Amino acid sequence: MKLLSVARLLARPAASGTATMVLPIVAFGVSTALLLTTLAGALSFFRWHGETGFLYQVLAILASALLIVPLASLGGSAARLSARRRDDRLATLRLLGATTGFVARLTVLESMVLALVGALGGTVLYLALTPLVGLIPFRGEPIGAAALLLNPLIVAGVIVGIGLLAGISAVVGLRGVIVSPLGVRTKQAAPRMRWMRVVFGAIVLGIAVFSVSHPGLFGGVAVFIVMLVVAFVAANAVLGLAGPFVIRLFASSALRRASTPQRLLAARTTLESPKAAWRQVSGVSMTSFVAVFAGSALATASSVSAGEMDAQSRVLLTDLRTGVYITLAISFLMVACSVGVSQASAILDRRDLYVSLDRLGMPVTTMNAARVRAVLSPLRIVAIGSAVCAAALVLPLAGISMVLAPVSMLTIAASIVAGILVVWLAAAATRPVLRRVLAEPAKLAE
Amino acid sequence: MVLILEANALTKSYGDTHALAGVDLTIQAGEAVAIMGASGSGKTTLLHVLAGILAPDGGSVTLHATQPPLVISELGDAARSQLRREAFGFVFQQGLLIPELTAVENVALPLMLNGVPRAEAEQRAAAWLGALGLGGMEQRRIGQLSGGQAQRVAVARAQVIEPAVVFADEPTGALDSATSSDVMDALLGTTSARGRTLVVVTHDEGIAARCGRIVRLRDGRVVETRSKVADMEYIEGETR
Repeated sequence: MKLLSVARLLARPAASGTATMVLPIVAFGVSTALLLTTLAGALSFFRWHGETGFLYQVLAILASALLIVPLASLGGSAARLSARRRDDRLATLRLLGATTGFVARLTVLESMVLALVGALGGTVLYLALTPLVGLIPFRGEPIGAAALLLNPLIVAGVIVGIGLLAGISAVVGLRGVIVSPLGVRTKQAAPRMRWMRVVFGAIVLGIAVFSVSHPGLFGGVAVFIVMLVVAFVAANAVLGLAGPFVIRLFASSALRRASTPQRLLAARTTLESPKAAWRQVSGVSMTSFVAVFAGSALATASSVSAGEMDAQSRVLLTDLRTGVYITLAISFLMVACSVGVSQASAILDRRDLYVSLDRLGMPVTTMNAARVRAVLSPLRIVAIGSAVCAAALVLPLAGISMVLAPVSMLTIAASIVAGILVVWLAAAATRPVLRRVLAEPAKLAE
Repeated sequence: MVLILEANALTKSYGDTHALAGVDLTIQAGEAVAIMGASGSGKTTLLHVLAGILAPDGGSVTLHATQPPLVISELGDAARSQLRREAFGFVFQQGLLIPELTAVENVALPLMLNGVPRAEAEQRAAAWLGALGLGGMEQRRIGQLSGGQAQRVAVARAQVIEPAVVFADEPTGALDSATSSDVMDALLGTTSARGRTLVVVTHDEGIAARCGRIVRLRDGRVVETRSKVADMEYIEGETR
């Protein structure tokens, strides 16, 4: 009972406004809506049992697997944001005599309640989006809203799962604070990374791409699919190892060349944690890579054998292309949401610093430019870098596609550029949060 | 004595609370002025209004360091921001330095905001760090400095643009007494000792006593102004 009454007391809007409570709820809501929509889209392929039904199902699983990384990143942002609410009050509660166990239970309860409220909102959003998503055509006709309605048990499972994950994340974060309360934000030396990672990563990635692009070397379809999954997991793991290193290299170079305050701040922010910068945008690395990789193959196939293809093959090729675009779009959308949430929470976390910079006379446009640049620079490196890597690996095919099907290839390039713009919009959308924080110095004055 | 900052009949309210209720104040160039008062007396609001961080509800603030004198209280947000960037230096209680930047980058930042090329800005910043006893620590990040060292970096950041006035808000509030004394040495040594102007808000009588003049506020009004020079003249008159 005591736990519930304290939790209710702390749930009241703080002096900082309701943003610290609303943001995690929104983040969990968007995560849930995108997860349910992706799941519904993938499962809708399982109602087909025809000749190509199995192929559609394998592709649905692959597309879903590609979206695991950006979804995990978005979910992680939501959980971290929710956990941050605790930091300010943790010390106060301990000073007032609350036991570690009481504070831990309170934190977990609060995180889970926020996640569950967000997940319920996300379910409503998923249902509202269903008619729109149902218009996407596969096999020559719209999927239909009805096919996207998930079994209520699955929906309930997702909601409970998100609540549990938020609770676990809170426990893990709490342990970090209890074990090293001062080590959390001392920001001493910036971490360093080894170049060996890149070499190792390049070799594994090369093997993975070679395996996928030479299916004839492996016997049956089943072996090929296993190889595909292994290659996917390996490529993801390698990107996770090499990505932060590459981001650090680019940021170091940007730091040396930085001639304006915003460039200097952006480069230093990225260098502060290349891993965090990577984590935020890594969701688009595999999808950009696959978009160019698969896009080149599809464009060439449909141009070369357009005349000989039967109707079913033509539909399959169109659907594959649609699948590539949808996966790419969802991954960018997830990264955009994750960026929006983490940028808003970073502003709230560093409100004192932003207020002090405003007092020094730093223009708000400079602060915003630095924030947006710190997000967009790694994103550009990851999205364009992955796309260029894929094009280089399938160079003859990409070259042929550019000649035979320039529209398809340009559409993929335009999709990546549009994705970057959406993320820019998400980062720019947090400007009002900064404006509101800067409008509050009067409250801090006395 | 040359007038540098002049406030007339300043008023400022937050809802029903009158933070400033008609404050008149003149500050001479090269002076070190301490503003004291209990919590809620309006001292930080006064500093913010003098520095152009907040616009007053009534009255005026005029900067006489420019020709012609500039009425700060009539400027818009952007112009006040530019004025703070170009003419004022600030030291806050917690330093509020940017943790991702090195010491020299933190100090160079105000110069870069004013359009000074980075190399020159860092050179001038390093010179200030050296002058404040932080030579060799230019490339350290703020987390690698002690509280006193970080506050001296903040003093260097305030001084690097060679401002007309330095405003300090409880600059030693988070430090122990020995470190406070060192930071105050740095602050006074780089301002009033060189003919520059310092306005400091403090709760600490010891810190205030080191300034040339103490202005006390209560309920948004100036209730006492004591000048060291006047005190000295009084004491000399008594002993004569």
